[in-house]
Amino acid sequence: MIDVDTAHWVLEETLKRGAEHAIVRLQERIYETVVYDTGILRSYTVSRVIGLGVRAVIKGGTGYTYTTSMDRESILKAVDKAIALTKVASQYGKKSFTPTAPVKDRYRVEFKIDPHAVEPKLKVDLVKEVNTSSIKREGIVSAVTRLGLERDRRVIVTSEGTVVEVDVVGVGLAHMAVAKYGAVIERVGDRESYIGGYEHIEKRDWNAFAEEIDKLAIKASQSKTPPPGTYVAVVDNEVVGLLLHEAFGHASEGDGVVAGASILKNRIGEKVASELITIVDAGLVEGGYPVPYDDEGVQKGKTIVVDKGVLKGYLTSRDTSQELNLKPTGNARAQDISFDTLVRQTNYYAEPGEWKVEELFEGVSHGIYLRGRGAMGGQVNPSVGTFTFSIGPSYIIRNGEPVELVRGVVVSGNILETLKEVDAVANDLKITTSVFGGCGKGGQTVRVGDGGPHIRTRKIVVGGG
Amino acid sequence: MIENIVERGIKVATKLGVGEVEVYAIRRIGTDIVGTTRGIERLSSGERIDVGVRVVIGKKVSVQGGMISRAEDLDSIVETAVKIARTLPEDPLWVSLPKGLGKSHVEETLDPKIVEPNTDYFIDVVQLLLKRSSEIDRRAFTSSASVHLSTVERAIGNSYGEIQREDSTEFSVFVSVKATEAGEESGYYEAYVAPTLTRFNPDEIVSKATEVAVKTLGARRVDTGDYELVFIPKVFAGVIQSLIVPAVCADSVQKGRSPLKDKIGRQVLSENLTIVDDGTYPGLMGTRSFDDEGVPTKRKVVFDRGVLNGFLYDTYTALVEGKSSTGNAFRNVPYSTPTPWISNLLVEPGSGDLSDLVKDVKKGVVVYATIGEWLSNPVSGLLNATITNGMYIESGEERFPVKGVVLSGNVYEVLKPVEVRVSGSLERFGRFSLPAIYIPRITLAGK
Repeated sequence: MIDVDTAHWVLEETLKRGAEHAIVRLQERIYETVVYDTGILRSYTVSRVIGLGVRAVIKGGTGYTYTTSMDRESILKAVDKAIALTKVASQYGKKSFTPTAPVKDRYRVEFKIDPHAVEPKLKVDLVKEVNTSSIKREGIVSAVTRLGLERDRRVIVTSEGTVVEVDVVGVGLAHMAVAKYGAVIERVGDRESYIGGYEHIEKRDWNAFAEEIDKLAIKASQSKTPPPGTYVAVVDNEVVGLLLHEAFGHASEGDGVVAGASILKNRIGEKVASELITIVDAGLVEGGYPVPYDDEGVQKGKTIVVDKGVLKGYLTSRDTSQELNLKPTGNARAQDISFDTLVRQTNYYAEPGEWKVEELFEGVSHGIYLRGRGAMGGQVNPSVGTFTFSIGPSYIIRNGEPVELVRGVVVSGNILETLKEVDAVANDLKITTSVFGGCGKGGQTVRVGDGGPHIRTRKIVVGGG
Repeated sequence: MIENIVERGIKVATKLGVGEVEVYAIRRIGTDIVGTTRGIERLSSGERIDVGVRVVIGKKVSVQGGMISRAEDLDSIVETAVKIARTLPEDPLWVSLPKGLGKSHVEETLDPKIVEPNTDYFIDVVQLLLKRSSEIDRRAFTSSASVHLSTVERAIGNSYGEIQREDSTEFSVFVSVKATEAGEESGYYEAYVAPTLTRFNPDEIVSKATEVAVKTLGARRVDTGDYELVFIPKVFAGVIQSLIVPAVCADSVQKGRSPLKDKIGRQVLSENLTIVDDGTYPGLMGTRSFDDEGVPTKRKVVFDRGVLNGFLYDTYTALVEGKSSTGNAFRNVPYSTPTPWISNLLVEPGSGDLSDLVKDVKKGVVVYATIGEWLSNPVSGLLNATITNGMYIESGEERFPVKGVVLSGNVYEVLKPVEVRVSGSLERFGRFSLPAIYIPRITLAGK
């Protein structure tokens, strides 16, 4: 059912009914999770998203409908509804879409072992082993271990002749440990994901992975929260990823810019970061989540957002690019067929610099080393310009050395200030993605990748305690 | 008919020889209208059917499901569930699926204006939200406004009980207002989220959003230090949802992830805080006659004048302790394993209104919005949030707007002092009905 022929048939039916332009999306996504909670199998779930979505455009009006019922009658009903909505919409707003040359392509993640074909028992045994070993460690009172396996197939056809098929397979394991020390209980969680098949799960020593998390949780439960205030900070790869995603990524999304909601509006050509900072959004990058084409069928190449500190562009969809007089950058993405697209990041990261990581600590008499392991995520209000994120157990730096572990660290800053304070960028680029979460916006979650090199910033607000 | 799906699933599983089976189906028909500075941007609508199947063989439990695109999909979900269940280890804590499914009496859960929507009316609402802000204040404009309508049909049944069905509606409206003046920028959003249009007043929400967006223009940081704080109801709800709610859910308690473990009967919050969970309270988003396992909802006092009274249970966590479910089973999607969560959360009123709380503040901040409060740590009780819209108060007077300041502290220390007070006026949104709150001391990290 999720094939190009069905998509073409739906496209034809949509055009026959008067649509001037149309995009048809078909999707099937299978997600399998095995969860152990403190020695007990809590769930083993295989779920499936399947269906199709149609976007039609008539006289500048846009309508979108979706259905999960794939019989002929339900599909045609959805098409009729899309046309009806589009006609209503055309009485109000007028939108236009940047034309794109038709593309025909098929992108497929190669894998050796299909994760969904592996015997359930093998998966259960692996998660059980990691989880039960963890709760046996002294100081650990509770642990949740989760295996995640995913396959997402999308077919996109457009009235301009684009036919794109994207098939992504990803696997990963997440572990969260709760440690108790006296009256203090603290949790630390981390996850590691790979794009590819089950062979990646087989290769990794997951007990060692969980043990490191457990030890960090135990140490964190024995540590203090940092004194709140403004710090010089050395920021690791993972926190840099969070920082760029929250502090800059969302504000550079074209829909917010067009709506006047982003603080980066009308700032192209302005200096918005230190000249050491170059930020890109790339569809295909090692360690990231592959987005070769977006959900409008536009190729996602590499977009330079900030070049040596100067704002160069925004992330766009076909309509926002028209409005902003830019090229579409392939950033129109939808969680699944039950949503039309929004402008979203793909793999958003900073290019590496020339410093060695250890050099970033030199000369810092009092500061903080912000660490990503155990980070919970972040949030931004792009119209106010304020962002925040919660990060993992981190270290107070004294006299150039990370010496004292602190827990419960959150940082906050201003989009237009924070990256101007960066005074050193290391050479250790690292990008990661996750099959357990992603980025949330407008009620939709999409998989993203983020990261960058270690950096040092002269000023960041740290709360805690 | 959605009940037919449930019936069919139960039949198929029973034939395959399972010990227990539960089938949960939700059909959702939704319409969205989105507007921005460019006018009405997009209309969308659609229909989805999601089904979850839980089968039990001995003490082996498996939950499977997803969207279904035709009736045969259900059969294959059941077959997969049974196949996987057979290979799983037993859950030694498993007792049974809920027995005695049923319904409580609920009101204000369905609005015919949403079931059969007049699209023109809702387009007019979005247009009003788009233009009204700049009419109220020239420094303001609406960056986005949206309306979402859904009709939801839920049906659930298991090996023990009658199939339960309930239809309800959902209505949410969001407006984001941005304000600019002399190179300064600010923004604020307001929302109406409820099952019906009963208390919906679009003018009121856009006025509120405009007022806060404009008055927080030119916000700055305050010095790092201790302050008094007043949270408006929406901000207070965010704190409760992020820190207190996970801690009163029985699964966190049983697994050692709640700081409230062993605290029943103890004074853990201020005596001015009485907090109730009530799935039968009329007209909130969590108002429904049965929970996500088909167990009737009910009212229970969780904190009585600050004393912890009890936890929230689904069937699994209740039976582990030999208790009954409190009607608090929650599922994100019908095919997830249920866990305990709030139905509706009500905080009992105190006296006066927001301005009465503010006028007694010597040195503090009224907080209209935060970000990142949901990243706080319910396991340790550590509250962290960043203020995006606040007002610095000195001797009861508003002095200047505040943003970019991180507030931190242990929630059980912050909300415990006898000086904590709540307003008599309540606000409702989503699953909450609650007052504004005054907090005598909290640490802010700023300049």
